[in-house]
Amino acid sequence: MSTQYSELQLDALRELANIGSGTASTALSTMLGRSVDISVPTARVLSFADAVDAAGPGEQEMTGIVLGITGDMTGTVLLLIPPADADAMCRMLGVEPTDDIALSALGEIGNIVGTSYINALASMTGMHIEPTPPATATDMLGAIVETVLAGHAFSGDAALMLDSNLLVEGEDCSISFLLVPDAGGIEMLLSRLGLG
Amino acid sequence: MSVSETMVRMGELAASSASGHVLVSLGLGSCIGLALVDRRLSVAGLAHVVLPQSPGHAPENPRKFADLAVPELILQLEALGARKHRLEAVLVGGAAMFAGSSGSLDVGQRNEAAVLELLKRLRIPVRATATGGIRGRTIRVDVATSTVTVREAGGTNVDLLVGTEHELEAVS
Repeated sequence: MSTQYSELQLDALRELANIGSGTASTALSTMLGRSVDISVPTARVLSFADAVDAAGPGEQEMTGIVLGITGDMTGTVLLLIPPADADAMCRMLGVEPTDDIALSALGEIGNIVGTSYINALASMTGMHIEPTPPATATDMLGAIVETVLAGHAFSGDAALMLDSNLLVEGEDCSISFLLVPDAGGIEMLLSRLGLG
Repeated sequence: MSVSETMVRMGELAASSASGHVLVSLGLGSCIGLALVDRRLSVAGLAHVVLPQSPGHAPENPRKFADLAVPELILQLEALGARKHRLEAVLVGGAAMFAGSSGSLDVGQRNEAAVLELLKRLRIPVRATATGGIRGRTIRVDVATSTVTVREAGGTNVDLLVGTEHELEAVS
């Protein structure tokens, strides 16, 4: 599917992602006690099938943390962390990855990072949106992404992939973000930015 | 014989009678990979179903809905010579990846139920399933041998349906 959005609109969405992940990186940095870099985000509007492909190799093992967005705009934020990186972040928090509480430590990372991302979107757009509690799974990347997209498939077939990376300095570990608004959510974001 | 894999992605379907052809859906989560085979003719199809039921109006991509994808897949198989009364089904997927989360609430279970109900109504027997649970799965359908395999994350390929020469005789 070709995107029906202009470069200017995609630029604005990229800037949203940039500020969102900037805020999230500060939260992660505070939590881990390390500096965290952010990559330049990409913004793409893709069909669901293309979005799953764009996320990466379908059978690659990945840890996904999902937060729902409720309020003026509904949607999902998906954080993707390679399992080795997830282990490294647990250790930075003083938790052994094999420990029972490792999963809740990861959920907490997702909660803090995802919530600050969603709060940044809210304050930039003036929307009242709130995160729902996180859910975590480590499995095939394709299965994680398609399950998130399936939750939005009834009303449309286009996913806005705002993809940005957080890189923890000196540890070579990263988190990437995907924002998938429900149908109409992209238009709502753009109109709030004055580009509707 | 060279093997070519066709990826059947979210909301897509494919049918084939080409030997050396393998239909694949990688990383099924809450979606269902529905394989339909006519073992006598070595015709096989795969649908990657996303949701159980289409909305009333004409949807953007009808093939993602079970109620529209299943009849479409059967039409494509029949166009390749398959006979509906000889079709056999294998279901893979329908997992609850994020158990306990709201939102994508038991879409997997509802997908499986919808596909099973359609197959029952069409009198197409279900030979094997690898469904439910919390793990993602990959399905592979070897067209020439009507062999259907499933693989879970971190696992190996497991046969769900094996169409040997012997069974070909038995079916005919």
